[in-house]
Amino acid sequence: MAKQTDIQISICGSAGDGTIAVGDIFKRAMARAGYRVIAFDHYPAEIRGFGKCISRTRISTNQVYSMKSYSDVLVSLNDLHAIPHVGEVRDYGAIIYDSAPMSAVAEGAHISGHLMPGHLPYALPIRELSELATGANRSRNIVALGFIAGLYQLPQQAFHQAIAAKFETKAPAVADTALAAFDSGFKSGSSTYKFDDVQIDHSRARKNGGEVRMMTGNGAIAHGCLEAGIETFFGYPITPATGIMERLAVEMPRRGGRLVQTEDEIAAISATIGAGYAGARAATATSGPGLALMAEMLGLGVMAEVPAVVFVSQRGGPSTGMPTKTEQSDLNLAVWGGHGDARRIVLAPTNVEGCRRCAARAFEMAEKFQVPVIVLIDLYLSNRYETVFLQGEDNFLPKNWQRVDSGAPGDNYRRYELTADGLSPRCVPGEAGGIYTATGLEHDEYGHPNDSPDVHSLMSEKRHEKLRDAMKYPGINFTKRFGDKGKIDVGLLAWGSTFGEALEAVLLAREEGIRCAAMKVVMMSPLPARPILRFCNDCQQVLVPELNYTGQFANLVSGELGRPVTRVSHATGAPMDINYLLTAIRNAAKQKLRNKTTTSNPTKA
Amino acid sequence: MPSSTHHVVLGNGIAGNHAADVIRKRDPNSRITIISAGALLFYNRYDLPDVFRGRHQWVDYLVHPPEYYESQNITLRRKTRVVELDPQTQTLSLAHRETLHYDKLLIATGGHAYIPARLLDDVGLMHSFHNFRVAMQVQNAVRKNGTVIMLGGDVMGLDLARTIIATGHRVIVALDNRTFWPHEIAQSERARYLQALESMGLDIWDHGKVDHIEAGNSKGPARQVFFEDGSEIRGDVVMPFFGLVPTVDFLATSGIDMERGILVSPQLQTARDNIWAAGDVCQIWSATSNAYRFYYGYRNVKMMGEVAAYNMTGEQSAFESTVDEALEVTSKGLLHSPFWEYD
Repeated sequence: MAKQTDIQISICGSAGDGTIAVGDIFKRAMARAGYRVIAFDHYPAEIRGFGKCISRTRISTNQVYSMKSYSDVLVSLNDLHAIPHVGEVRDYGAIIYDSAPMSAVAEGAHISGHLMPGHLPYALPIRELSELATGANRSRNIVALGFIAGLYQLPQQAFHQAIAAKFETKAPAVADTALAAFDSGFKSGSSTYKFDDVQIDHSRARKNGGEVRMMTGNGAIAHGCLEAGIETFFGYPITPATGIMERLAVEMPRRGGRLVQTEDEIAAISATIGAGYAGARAATATSGPGLALMAEMLGLGVMAEVPAVVFVSQRGGPSTGMPTKTEQSDLNLAVWGGHGDARRIVLAPTNVEGCRRCAARAFEMAEKFQVPVIVLIDLYLSNRYETVFLQGEDNFLPKNWQRVDSGAPGDNYRRYELTADGLSPRCVPGEAGGIYTATGLEHDEYGHPNDSPDVHSLMSEKRHEKLRDAMKYPGINFTKRFGDKGKIDVGLLAWGSTFGEALEAVLLAREEGIRCAAMKVVMMSPLPARPILRFCNDCQQVLVPELNYTGQFANLVSGELGRPVTRVSHATGAPMDINYLLTAIRNAAKQKLRNKTTTSNPTKA
Repeated sequence: MPSSTHHVVLGNGIAGNHAADVIRKRDPNSRITIISAGALLFYNRYDLPDVFRGRHQWVDYLVHPPEYYESQNITLRRKTRVVELDPQTQTLSLAHRETLHYDKLLIATGGHAYIPARLLDDVGLMHSFHNFRVAMQVQNAVRKNGTVIMLGGDVMGLDLARTIIATGHRVIVALDNRTFWPHEIAQSERARYLQALESMGLDIWDHGKVDHIEAGNSKGPARQVFFEDGSEIRGDVVMPFFGLVPTVDFLATSGIDMERGILVSPQLQTARDNIWAAGDVCQIWSATSNAYRFYYGYRNVKMMGEVAAYNMTGEQSAFESTVDEALEVTSKGLLHSPFWEYD
């Protein structure tokens, strides 16, 4: 019986080598061919000309949840950059490199001198093939892509289509050149004896119902915004969130929406809240530094109970930090950032499909609960590509607000009426009878400024208690448990992009016989304490993996639940390492065993 | 005492790998680099006929697992071709435009199949059997109960023929003056040896020189061999077995003394400082023969690797073959070559 396909291919080059571009073609071609794809690119902060680029793509026939911790194939378009990554390739995996570089290399500077004994080398005259096929060496990346396709007998037609699509906006000669380069590499790969044990089984590629899309987290958020009927977007570019605005800038005008690039983040959030106040579905997108600037206005949104959606993609910080590296270190800022008790909703999707769903639901929740909603992702999820299978099962709700039912114009409208569920009748400016004072000052039910102790106490309670039902909002799994059921040795409580690695690590640990499970937590504020506590109570040890130094989610959980958890923090700028997590699980399982031994036989120290 | 000596071994066969192993034992801290034109780790080429017995995974032929190289701190550079040697600067120029410095160099690049000039135009229609990849190609090309045509019939070919016949195929040996190479058979003894070949199940084809080879049609055997006398035979593959020639092309400008192979002293040292040679690539001075001569077979080659390694690490040992080089006809009337024996 043929094996399931699950391989990861890494292409490494220098900025300008077309590394990311060719990785993009590869992932799209494989998605066309029916595989599940997860891909993540590493690129330098600098625009062009130097710096390392890596495009990693995992293709599989089964559902997978993250990038693998190792690669099956590494392609070097620049040995200087690729050599440090040779060790990422597993034994009997393949390394493809240029056997005929243009200029002489210093001793030890060619990748062939750095291969591990278990690697299988494919020395290909990449530059020469490019020159022969196209008259220039610019298509080295496409030649290498063709070689991969030929070596592993991937469907040539899917690549031709992906190349044509990639260059459809360019002059026809560009696509023709790329196709010639691809075919040259394909021919070479097809005639090369395959020594490695990388297997791609085409018979098991998915024959889907429904529409298949390749999306990044940013793209999925934009998609979700459009599905939810976003009307206005105000943004100021910042890596890694800019992609959201870029996509919306193309799509929104076609649908009658408006997108404005503001002068800064303060203007963006101010305009978003203004639009929300006026009844529009409005959003902005930023990263940690921008969120810091938005903190004050978010407080206004909370106080004035104005719906607004803020997409935040975290990057390495503090300050300018590492704009092109990932981190999960803005959780505190998202949940607590700002002055006063400014409780808001914070959602943290764990995968690309989740980005789409959370983005769309965020508008609904912002309107229903009359509060800003932050959708918190990170660079890894922003830029990670995944195949998304659109089955049409999501029906996002059109915008809706309660009409004023007093019927009487003037001062009788209690915009902030104290109700059983804390949700007050909301209207938008211009509605008859809907006049009220919207202010950042503390206010009574009519919106009139009032700082009396009773009013502040009641209104504070209202602003918090109205969010209690947010945890029951349909259409999103705010928590979900995977793995072993019942009492377990080790549980991983994970959020955001790290959940994928956590689940992969749990699956590996279960194969080793460790009883373990993973729970994803999508709602960070208000925190769904009950299901989390139930999960924790089932676990001998609870590990909280996250990409920050201080363990922000661990602190949030232990603070709200009063239960100790073990931090598994990882602040390198890279996604969580599955092996790192697996080791932590093993160690936790051993610790549990030691505890059991100690309990059962106290004389053994 | 730590050694910073960089030992470079050209060749990933028995001589080179055994030499590296011995060097590591004698100089634990030195740097050792093996350079190989192939893609694989050191594997047993003597077992390659087993591809006809269904052994189709190259890892099954490995002599050492990947971990061996790491534990021995031996760097193996595969798919790496040396294009030039400069003994003055003690550097090797690699095809990918890297220059590699050595302190001590062992050339153990072995040999490759000799193809008579008259057949060079037909090389594309012949199959060799010198590595795993081409061995698999041969195995794939030979149909069930199919026919292999061996031109010449040196001892490597005859060794392979034993397995091919044992696995249900037919082997036709087109005789040549290099049949039985490197054994030298007196004309008076030739008939006895040919009889032994027939006893082993080989078909003898004694029609003089090959004129040319053609591809067959799609329905029949893939190859047709035409002889100068007008006769022809058909088979699935045609394999040249005319003996070996040393692989020394990259030494053209090195100034190293060569005849057919690299000329070395009994200590396996070339006339150049810090360069030794071992295996099928070298001709060793024999005082007995008063000539430089080749020594073949696994045991000789392995011993050469060992002697070279000792001498590269300070000894002055001389190579002496202990192999009886006679081609035997056994009591059952079958051939046996000492060059078929290996550990």
